[in-house]
Amino acid sequence: MITAGIDMGSKTIKVVVLRNGRIIGKAMILAGFESQQAAEQAFATALEEAGITGEEVERTAATGAGRKYAPRTQQAISEVAGDARGVHKLYPNARTVIDVGAEEGRAIRCNEKGKVLDFALNEKCAAGAGAFTEAMSRALEVKIEDLGPMSLTSENAIPMNAQCAVFAESEVVSLLHQKTPKEDIARAVHDAIASRIVSLARKVGFEPEVVLIGGVAQNKGFVDSLQRALECQVMVPEDPEYIGAFGAALAATEG
Amino acid sequence: MFGQFRQWEQNRHDYAQAWKERTGGKVMGYFCTYVPEEILHAAGVLPVRILGSHEPQDVTEPHIFGMFCPFCRDCLAQGLKGRYDYLDGIMIAQSCLHIRQAFTSWQKHLPTEFSYYLCMPHHVQSPRALPYLTGELADFRTAVEEWTGKAVTDANLDEAIEVYNENRRLMHAAYDLRKGDAPPITGEEAMEMVISSQMTDKAEHNQELKRILGELADRGNSRDVGARLMIIGSEDDDIEFINMVESCGATFVVDEHCTGTRYFWNEVQPREDRLEAIAARYIDRVPCPTKDWMDRKRIPHILELAEEWKVDGAIVMQQKFCDPHELDNPAIREALHEQGIESLFLEFDVTVPVGQFQTRVEAFLEMLSGEDLFD
Amino acid sequence: MATKQIYETKPLACWNRAKEIRKNYYLDYAKAHESGGIRWAGGAWTFSAIPCGLGDDVYSISSEPYAASIAANREFSTRCLEATERAGYARDLCSYMRNYWGSLILDEYLWGGPFPRPDFIWQDHICCSHAKWYQVVCDLEPGIPNFCIDVAVGPAGEINDNKLDYLVGQMQDGIEWMEEVTGRTYEDEKLIEAVDNECRATSLWAEICCLNKAVPAPLEEKTMYSLYVLGTLMKHSKVVADFYAELRDEVRERVENQIAAIPNERCRLMSDTQPPWGFLNLFRYLADYGAVSVGSLYTFGLIGMWEVKPDDTWGPRTTPRERGIEIKDRNQALRVLAEWNLNKPQWQHFYSPHLKTDLMLRIAKEWSLDGVMLHYNRGCEGLSVGIAENRLGLIEGGFPVMTFEGNMGDEREFDLARTHVRVDTFMETLGLKKDDAGSEPSEQTHRARVCT
Repeated sequence: MITAGIDMGSKTIKVVVLRNGRIIGKAMILAGFESQQAAEQAFATALEEAGITGEEVERTAATGAGRKYAPRTQQAISEVAGDARGVHKLYPNARTVIDVGAEEGRAIRCNEKGKVLDFALNEKCAAGAGAFTEAMSRALEVKIEDLGPMSLTSENAIPMNAQCAVFAESEVVSLLHQKTPKEDIARAVHDAIASRIVSLARKVGFEPEVVLIGGVAQNKGFVDSLQRALECQVMVPEDPEYIGAFGAALAATEG
Repeated sequence: MFGQFRQWEQNRHDYAQAWKERTGGKVMGYFCTYVPEEILHAAGVLPVRILGSHEPQDVTEPHIFGMFCPFCRDCLAQGLKGRYDYLDGIMIAQSCLHIRQAFTSWQKHLPTEFSYYLCMPHHVQSPRALPYLTGELADFRTAVEEWTGKAVTDANLDEAIEVYNENRRLMHAAYDLRKGDAPPITGEEAMEMVISSQMTDKAEHNQELKRILGELADRGNSRDVGARLMIIGSEDDDIEFINMVESCGATFVVDEHCTGTRYFWNEVQPREDRLEAIAARYIDRVPCPTKDWMDRKRIPHILELAEEWKVDGAIVMQQKFCDPHELDNPAIREALHEQGIESLFLEFDVTVPVGQFQTRVEAFLEMLSGEDLFD
Repeated sequence: MATKQIYETKPLACWNRAKEIRKNYYLDYAKAHESGGIRWAGGAWTFSAIPCGLGDDVYSISSEPYAASIAANREFSTRCLEATERAGYARDLCSYMRNYWGSLILDEYLWGGPFPRPDFIWQDHICCSHAKWYQVVCDLEPGIPNFCIDVAVGPAGEINDNKLDYLVGQMQDGIEWMEEVTGRTYEDEKLIEAVDNECRATSLWAEICCLNKAVPAPLEEKTMYSLYVLGTLMKHSKVVADFYAELRDEVRERVENQIAAIPNERCRLMSDTQPPWGFLNLFRYLADYGAVSVGSLYTFGLIGMWEVKPDDTWGPRTTPRERGIEIKDRNQALRVLAEWNLNKPQWQHFYSPHLKTDLMLRIAKEWSLDGVMLHYNRGCEGLSVGIAENRLGLIEGGFPVMTFEGNMGDEREFDLARTHVRVDTFMETLGLKKDDAGSEPSEQTHRARVCT
């Protein structure tokens, strides 16, 4: 059976095509202002990679913030359900899923069947997401993809305000003026987001195995900070941004 | 010279544990300065105020909603991180809503052999508060006696009252020295002095105070005093901040906040009924905003302090989200302004952006000195 | 969207009467002076029975309901909030206060005309803000005599004579004070009557809430807000007590005839803290899933007075009159009033959230709930204090809980779309789909029905 999943994220749209549970095509595109158009484009790219036509897709499910506007879909599931589904398929022993995207951080606890038991999302004054690392990389004048590796070279933990992102940004500016090495600041930035994400995870009560997905999972500096803050190992799948769409595509197989 | 106070403040847990070992006594962690410490001291208990550690943490989110002040969350974090495992008891005297959550979460998740919630009245301006609190203190004393297994007699209370009153007098004496043109104590040193008093045996603290007062008589002041500032506000033990301000060409000469003069300003006046005497002290003391109604008593007191200590300007600070102070600050700043004292308003978190605050403080100090030119 | 019809529904017959009572309340306050009457301002928890002793032409404005009414009018609310901010007050203060102060600063009464200045203020201090709410009012409008009673003497289980003496003493002082400031002579019989009415009204409200234990629920929470509010305005009045008796009879009839609040009930929830007043359509969104909020500790226990019955279930508190007690004099009336109010369920959590968790678990069990929606309400510290521990306690007690952040009175802090997402996700975990998608009741909801 061939199914597809579309994750209509606020920043990027991801499409995954599955045949008998295996990914045969995927694509990611910036959502922009015309998200439906972007979704169609991503769909076309994923189909091309899969070497099939649109008619061969039997069923499509959508997830993500903009799922109501997803084209070509017969079914919609929440991001939380999509994440849990996708992770459970790859890691049957996963009991905690942490998803850190551009605009949203969430923690999900699930059982051995992959059923969602509890979830926690970003709140005011308790938020951590990718947008923060982007802002910080600009403040540090480094490329976003260099931020992670740079932070791993640091050997100094500098506590950064864990509460308000605006306050934290002030602190980065101060640290720069005090000539603090950039790698130490980079590490502090990752530690700060990790701290907020761990706060979120503690709300649902995390237990191993812990799986991290979403765009920020690509950031090795953040993964390191998260592991230290959780005091346990964190698994990161290949293509962590696609797991939501993957979960949606799996849901589509069940109809 | 103030090294001992700093040492106690920075090693508060070591101090308390050593005290326990030395005396075999019990240690009570408390959450608000309305706690009647005299009764605890009379029972042979060491009261230690629970304060935060100014480190970002991720453990309190499941327990306290993030919109409550950073201070109460920082306090709970200390417990959750096991730093206060040596406490035999915890207590709170009710004042604000925020800090009481640190107490109630602690009660459930970090149970101690004794815990107590004292219903300290809020209507301190009513004559009914005194008999009420006296009755509550009698119940409290009984509970403490049951806990420690020994009676708390009038003689015990007299001794405790004297030790505490002496501590207050001595700290007053130190503060009085700051009235002069060349205060021999910085605001940072004064803060170390007061905070350390909240976590040590008062008799020991008195000894150190006497020693210091003796030495201060000879200590000149080679520091350039700069602008004479007052700091007003909520709980504040952010020594780093005080240090930063005083390095910008200013000196804190006096304060009116929870970890400063509000703690020690008033003595217990003697009465036949010792519990009534203690109750009267806590009712009549400089109030926390939660108890400063319907008249605003803090304002004339602040203006008096500002006058006696010849204050040039004020920093009005509060923990982020602190409603009680937010309800007072507009009126306080207005009253100061009418007296010709300008104020800088700052919100504190667990850590403060020292660099950004420095910019604001420097601008404020410039503004203050600019005014002098036109006097 | 086609709604599955499982039960019969019909609107409440006494609905218009409720609206009329509320409307008259606010107009009477504004017009009080026209007929030589007097008017006072105070909070919803204040001992409103006491000023009744000053005469039959004494009117009041209750601050929180007034502010909630402003909040429901988002355009006016925004103007009020901005006026308050311009005056220098912080944005994270209680949003009821900020709406109320704004109305004063703009000098605009929600129902038209300038804000009618009270002759005196009669308040009680429950949260950090309560007394100071009116302290700031006096900063803004100097010269209004004000009196506030401190009620923070501990939870109901620890009431003793010393605590009652404190309250009654303040009340006695208050009566002497109000005689002075109004120039009127106090009439104790009117106080006694008002205390009687208050006990009756608040006990009846609890009885009405109890009827919602029935499946299907005859009332849903959004409707209940408009009914319970009358108690926040005039719990001391015969009008409200009589109205609640009428309402109770009508709701009983609905239960007997299985008349439901929503026709497709298949999931029962409770909420907590005040709702986001400008967005009550959130409850309609729940109905799309066949989910109904049958109440909350807030709706039940702020005005309602309760007790544990011999069969260990929660029910309406037996009034002094029902126990055969005849109030004879002022002192007795005040003592009865003090003790009655100290037993208010919504008061207990100020001393420990774990007391509230116990009450919430009781509601969840006895009202056969499938889940709980907690409003992490940034606008009210008093009702949100300890809410995180309530969440842990409810989860420990086996109930699914969802949280959503918001603000009862500041629409800028509530995101309806995001809240819908959370509701969708929560409904998913409960196994519910919206009606047009076809639904099967979840195992849990089925179990709930079987148990009643």
